Amino acid sequence: MSVPVMTVPGEPPASVSSAAVRATGLTKVYGSGETAVHALAGVDVAFARGEFTAIMGPSGSGKSTLMHCLAGLDAATSGQVFLGGTELTRLRDDELTRLRRDRIGFVFQAFNLLPVLDARENVVLPMQLAGRRPDPAWFDAVVARLGLRERLRHRPSELSGGQQQRVAIARALLPRPDVVFADEPTGNLDSRSGAEVLDLLRSSVRETGQTVVMVTHDPTAASYADRVVLLADGRPAGEVDRPTAASVLEALRGLGG
Amino acid sequence: MLSTTLANLRAHLPRLVAATLAVVIAVAFVVATLVLNETSRATLLRAAGAEYVGTDVVVTAADGSSLAGAVGAVAAVPGVRAVDPTTAAEVQARFPGRSEAYLQAQAVAADPALRWQRVTDGALPDSPGEIAVATTTEAAVGDVVAVTVYDPATGEATSTGEATVTGLVDLGGDPSAGLFARGFAVADQVAAWGGTEPTELRVAGWNRTDPEALAAAVAPALGFAEVEVRTGEQAAEDAVAGITGNRLALAAVLLVFATVAVLVAGLVIANTLAVLVAQRTRDLALLRCVGATSRQVRRSVLTEAAVTGLVASAVGVGAGVGLAALVSALVGTDSPLPLEGVAVPLYAVGAGLAVGTLTTLLAALGPSRGATRVAPLAALRPVDAAPLRSRGGLLRFGAGLLLVLGGAALMALGVLTVNVYASLAGGTASFLGVVLLAQRAVPPVVAAAGRALGRVGGVPGRMAAGNASRNPRRTAATATALLIGVTLTTAMVVGAASTRATAQAGLDAAYPADVEIGAYGELPASLLPRLEDVDGVAGGTALLGVDVTAPDGQPLWVQGVDAAAATPVLRSTADLTLPAFGEAVLPQWAADSYGLRTGQTLTLQAGERSRALTVVVGDTGLGTPLLSTADLRALVPDATAATLWLRLDDGAGQRDAIEEVTELTGAAVPDAYVTGLASERAAIDSVLDALLLVVTGLLGVAVLIALIGVGNTLALSVVERRQENGLLRAMGLTRGQLRALLAWEAVLVAGVAAVLGVLLGGAYGLIGTASVLGGQDTVLLDVPWLQVGGIVVVATVAGLLASVLPARRAARTAPVAAIAAV
Repeated sequence: MSVPVMTVPGEPPASVSSAAVRATGLTKVYGSGETAVHALAGVDVAFARGEFTAIMGPSGSGKSTLMHCLAGLDAATSGQVFLGGTELTRLRDDELTRLRRDRIGFVFQAFNLLPVLDARENVVLPMQLAGRRPDPAWFDAVVARLGLRERLRHRPSELSGGQQQRVAIARALLPRPDVVFADEPTGNLDSRSGAEVLDLLRSSVRETGQTVVMVTHDPTAASYADRVVLLADGRPAGEVDRPTAASVLEALRGLGG
Repeated sequence: MLSTTLANLRAHLPRLVAATLAVVIAVAFVVATLVLNETSRATLLRAAGAEYVGTDVVVTAADGSSLAGAVGAVAAVPGVRAVDPTTAAEVQARFPGRSEAYLQAQAVAADPALRWQRVTDGALPDSPGEIAVATTTEAAVGDVVAVTVYDPATGEATSTGEATVTGLVDLGGDPSAGLFARGFAVADQVAAWGGTEPTELRVAGWNRTDPEALAAAVAPALGFAEVEVRTGEQAAEDAVAGITGNRLALAAVLLVFATVAVLVAGLVIANTLAVLVAQRTRDLALLRCVGATSRQVRRSVLTEAAVTGLVASAVGVGAGVGLAALVSALVGTDSPLPLEGVAVPLYAVGAGLAVGTLTTLLAALGPSRGATRVAPLAALRPVDAAPLRSRGGLLRFGAGLLLVLGGAALMALGVLTVNVYASLAGGTASFLGVVLLAQRAVPPVVAAAGRALGRVGGVPGRMAAGNASRNPRRTAATATALLIGVTLTTAMVVGAASTRATAQAGLDAAYPADVEIGAYGELPASLLPRLEDVDGVAGGTALLGVDVTAPDGQPLWVQGVDAAAATPVLRSTADLTLPAFGEAVLPQWAADSYGLRTGQTLTLQAGERSRALTVVVGDTGLGTPLLSTADLRALVPDATAATLWLRLDDGAGQRDAIEEVTELTGAAVPDAYVTGLASERAAIDSVLDALLLVVTGLLGVAVLIALIGVGNTLALSVVERRQENGLLRAMGLTRGQLRALLAWEAVLVAGVAAVLGVLLGGAYGLIGTASVLGGQDTVLLDVPWLQVGGIVVVATVAGLLASVLPARRAARTAPVAAIAAV
């Protein structure tokens, strides 16, 4: 178990220039008094630009809560979250909403496509909400890389799970966000579709420098990442660089999880 | 299973409350109608039957012959305390400062037990020369009334006299109280005024007499057979029954509207329950998983509906009684439909409970069938949002099409043959068909409107359009509920406007002048300018009148008019022929008596002068031949005015203007008569206005219920799409955009229903008018665009308002909560 880097609150850590997202002293408490649950009990973490990071930990370790707070979906109880130079923890709801649609991409376990829209409409939705037009060349490139060209007119109900998740990835990549958060992106997929999805995420990091942060509990999925951040009981519990399924598994055992 | 059902009820209480509001309102409407009906009956019983209520026995001569000779025999019956022969006189009475008017004077009973009059001031008369009058005469105690008795056969005054007012009698809600004055005098005075022979005896027994027994005892004492002996209570009931014909018709009309409200409420609640069941698919499937049979699940859903319906109905009954009490207090006894207090009959309570509960149960049948189709496995896999395809859909489509086409054919027949019954049947049938077809017809319209909306409403608009088309059945049912209300409201508004326009045109043609002033002698030349100065008088013209010598040597009264001056004064010259210079307009009777036809020549003489005029046979509106003023002056240079025609300004104040004109004229020429046709027109107008207001209010209830349905559907959609809305928020949809999304959806559904309803209702209104009034010479079809547009706007804006609460709830949901709920 490694000791978290101590930082003086208010002073940016040394790696500020290269970090796409970072958090300092992040806590999240549900409930109050005796029944209070500390989902996050003081987390300092940073994610470098162009890096594919996996967050891992046993159930209840706070990995999903951490991701929600980093992505501005949930308000932290205390601490700070920075997206580039912007402090998320200071923004009001509407500013956060705009930040999410302009600078953050999401990929969910349950795909979460809108059933009334077809694949193309789903992909361009965040940009439309922002009133922006997608760059056609970039759109074509994303669609081509994800193999969706033949499926653009299909509704989600007419697509397989793997195809739906690829639509969701295209949706996340299209606005060229500062960071893509993926929450158990392979959880609802068979192993072959899962591997495809992970390949796509990794290639987007390698080829276009996209920053990706993925929450997972699957060591094989984590092995696609450049780095694994481990979490236990709401606290950072070590890291694994250049992970393999075996090294991740070993690190997890070390947590007693 | 029952405990599960009740637990479910408790868990979904807030949503059920919103859903059952529709039932509450509909039941309240039904109950209020029944209670008001009963209250009005009870009020009338006390008022119209007042003289019988406290009487033990009433003896009536069935053939109208005098019962004067029977008084002694009845009084001799053991147990009889007093007998009052009912007599009345009809006289003309002049109250101080007012004109002579008809008064019915009734004899006051000698025995206090038989005096039924409620005296509010003073006392009943004790001796001749005194009179008590109804409070509605607005007389005061001490006033002296001049009484003139006319011979009914000759019309000549037979005696005159005076009577001092000793007291005022409150006749309550007696329907005759407003029609003519009523007074009460001692029997001798009534006899002196030419009172009728008594055809009715009111009998009082001693205290604690059983009226039935007394009636049985009195009957044998009367020798002749043509007598009816009733208890006082029976007589009162019978008296009321004589007046209630109209009132029953009114109750029937009200109940028709109540039925509409119940129907709409049924649609709304069926829709709401269907959504509630759909939301609980998982819960229901879980129940099936742990061993509940599909029968148990169905029973659970139906029990829930029955309990909800019963509770909502009970609340509705309370609200209805309260509403009736409020209406009763507002209307009071001084109205054409007198109401006093509240009478709550048991059947009204029973009917309210039954209607509400049964409607809810019937509405629950469909959703409960859906609930039984839930497979136990559904609990274990994600909910499929795909709407179910109805098997009955094709059947419904066929039946709907058949009804619409058949109904349309019947309506066409009704318009062509001016048969309102054919149109009514056709209208009802086709409207039922429309309701059946709505499920198929509405979704494409919503989708089309949604595409248009997508262009103006931005992303939220486009998504709202998608959402509105997502569950076509639900959207259609929501829209249909609103469609019914809007259609009927529009039909009434358009129908009333057309009726008014047609009636107006007919009145204008029949009575072209607003005010007509005539005299048996001459009218001074100064009168017209003075009348034209009266506030509210737009202008006037004078018609000259002289006696000339007709071709047959007899004197003939003719009048002269300046057509150019008269035309702007008249409302219409459609039925009127005004003479040009050199013409004489002869009414048919004059043309017949001189044997003249249009185009022939009529020669009139006045002393030395004579004039040959071209005959035009036509209506002059005066009954006399009409010449041009110039021709008349050529015959009689010093002719004076005989008739004045006045035109009044439109709008309120016509009544005041007529009153002032009457006063001025009466002061100048005592024997002049003033006919205010404007007041007749205003009377028709106000009747139509009141009718329209009442009907619109009644249908407004249906629209209100339907809008609750729109709100409910949206609220349930918000719950259903919690996750989806959360996702949109995560993707960057702002709270404002989310609210806009729901607002657009509501506007889309309500707007489509309103527009379709207005189109349908407009057609029904025009068809109805054409088939009712088609027999008239001119039927004017009038669409009040402003009001119709108002209906669309109000319905749409109300739909928008209905979205406010659901939208607020949706916007409050944190994005992460929605996603985490998966």
